[in-house]
Amino acid sequence: MWERRAFLKAAGTGFLASLLPQRAAALATSELVFASSTLLPSGSFGAALITETGTLIANVALPDRGHDVTYSPVSGRAVVFARQPGTFAVVFDPQGREAPLTIPSVAGRHFFGHGAFSPDGTLLYATENDFDNARGVIGIYDVSGGYTRIGELDTYGTGPHELLLMPDGVTFAVANGGIETHPDYGRTELNLDTMEPSLCFVDRRDGGLVGKLALAADLHQLSIRHMAVDVSNRVWFGCQFRGAEGAPQLVGYATLDGDIRLIELPDDALRNLRNYVGSVARSAGGDLIAVSSPEGDTILAIDAATARPVFTAPLKDGCGIAPDGGGFLASSGLGDIAGLGGSTAAPHRFDFGFDNHLRRLEL
Amino acid sequence: MRLLIAAALAIAAVPALAQSAIPNRTIIEGAIDGYIRPAFAQFAEETGALDLNVAALCATPSADALTLAQNQFRSAVTAFSRVEFIRIGPLGVGDRLERLLFWPDRKGIALKQVQGALAEQDATTTSPETLQKKSVAMQGLVALEYLLFGTASDDLASAAGSYRCSYARASTALIHGLAETITGEWHDDTTVGVAAALLNPRPDAADYRTETEVLEKLAATMIHGTEAIRDQRIAPIVSDSTGTPKPRSALFWRSNMTAPALAANFAGLHDFFVAAKYPEAIGTENAWVAEGAIFEFGNAARATSAITAPMEQAVADPRQLQALKYLVVVTKSLDTLLGQNLAAALGLSVGFSTLDGD
Repeated sequence: MWERRAFLKAAGTGFLASLLPQRAAALATSELVFASSTLLPSGSFGAALITETGTLIANVALPDRGHDVTYSPVSGRAVVFARQPGTFAVVFDPQGREAPLTIPSVAGRHFFGHGAFSPDGTLLYATENDFDNARGVIGIYDVSGGYTRIGELDTYGTGPHELLLMPDGVTFAVANGGIETHPDYGRTELNLDTMEPSLCFVDRRDGGLVGKLALAADLHQLSIRHMAVDVSNRVWFGCQFRGAEGAPQLVGYATLDGDIRLIELPDDALRNLRNYVGSVARSAGGDLIAVSSPEGDTILAIDAATARPVFTAPLKDGCGIAPDGGGFLASSGLGDIAGLGGSTAAPHRFDFGFDNHLRRLEL
Repeated sequence: MRLLIAAALAIAAVPALAQSAIPNRTIIEGAIDGYIRPAFAQFAEETGALDLNVAALCATPSADALTLAQNQFRSAVTAFSRVEFIRIGPLGVGDRLERLLFWPDRKGIALKQVQGALAEQDATTTSPETLQKKSVAMQGLVALEYLLFGTASDDLASAAGSYRCSYARASTALIHGLAETITGEWHDDTTVGVAAALLNPRPDAADYRTETEVLEKLAATMIHGTEAIRDQRIAPIVSDSTGTPKPRSALFWRSNMTAPALAANFAGLHDFFVAAKYPEAIGTENAWVAEGAIFEFGNAARATSAITAPMEQAVADPRQLQALKYLVVVTKSLDTLLGQNLAAALGLSVGFSTLDGD
């Protein structure tokens, strides 16, 4: 079996000590706090809490590379998920009041890097791989029971990646990337010829399939990976094209009514995405959608109402995006943060690199 | 345990941010002329010889002719293992790579299809024209290995193997044809050739906009090579998910080429690294990055040479199994050196996010 003891021992040892008094003050006075997985200069991995002014508030040590962070404003707890094929998730308190807790993956499942809390903060959901059956599942964890895994829901697809809870509080949007992986083959994509990505709406109460949406059959190698919900409840998604040749459109939206479509980005905007959207975020008002491409060193903002590009911003290895007061804060694998589209955040470079996602925590 | 070892070996230093100490173009030219072109030419030559050897075997079956064909298969595998990481350009076009090597094949599709054809004596596998229209899993090196080394391959030494030999011959013709095509495209010096695209990037180009982008792609190519070694070759044998090694999940176990192919994978990466003049480009201040990579390539060569037994016995021998697991550690160290550290030393943005996204 996988060596879980190593994770349990290594995870969650570095948080409390790193929450220094002056950092605690920054946390207390800062309005906007962001979280992201990180790569430290030592070669080790963590999850960092930062402010938009470039202050590092805290770092949670991780035993391996993390991916996305989710947060419950009700319980005040955040969770960072291991990057796929991940065998741990670490729960931490951004206020530093409690030591981190490691959730190991259960036998036959691994984490896919994303998840969400229920609105009341009592349940944690994580996208996971039932790898022997190439079946996507949503693991359900009971927060009050020490994050014990109490069940799972089907994602109705293979290779689920990002999971969002719709504003109704009961419907999940799941991006089934369509790509089969197995831990005995690391991150190798095992079914590029036959992949069938989809965006599914799943009722979190009973696991019922509300709707399964897929693009045209000739776009079956367009992996739907990341999403954000706009002000009109449309689920914007960004894709990664896994075909050998071609440059299809990469951004689209789906609705609970069963509509799914790709928007037509102009040639130059599309080319700069390099067949790869690394993350999708909505502005605070939900009227702007930003997509990033670390391959193309580009962040592109789109008007959700007209589906037209509003601005592009270059950012080397830029991938993380989160709503900032007036616009977006973006982060890069090289350690940069930059305010875009009305954000007042000044550019700052940290001495560690950011993973693909940046999350704003409503502390 | 694996992760603890990797963590202990993780390189704690960070290169001084810098630029290449030699012109970017020199690196690109070195990669193309110093490695990619001759290595693909070698692959074309070895597969050409294989095609001839198998043709001779089919014409005059004998144990000696079979041995010659089998040995030439091993040479072709070695040559392929030196180029398979160069997925930018011609090898990455369409399904060429899958036609040459249908792998990974977790469900054993190639084996089932080849065995099915043998059982039915499916005539459409006996000419390159018709074989090309069949499943890619039936065409390349994996299928050919079974024909030359699998159950009842001894039939090839006599007329009893006539059908099987014709199938093998069609396969070698396709493999050699593809090798010739890819080599020809790499040697195309016209403005529409891949070399021109790499050497003359343009802001409006669909593939490469700047020299920096080309350098980033070349660096990423090496990382994808180390990742493929780890995730597609070693991990399936070690099988962490079950805790029990699976020697028959090894690539080329039938021909006893698993370890030699791994050795050629690492040697190809090493030779590419040197031919592209990365050690010179890195400069003296960050010389440790190149020295570290060369050191790890040496470790890989020693570890692969320690795996001498057929895979079934090798994984039962603690020393050889350990060597296999140690290669995982080497690939991770090379990821850090050839990914993050090399990028930093050359001022590239082959960053955390770009390298292997999610």
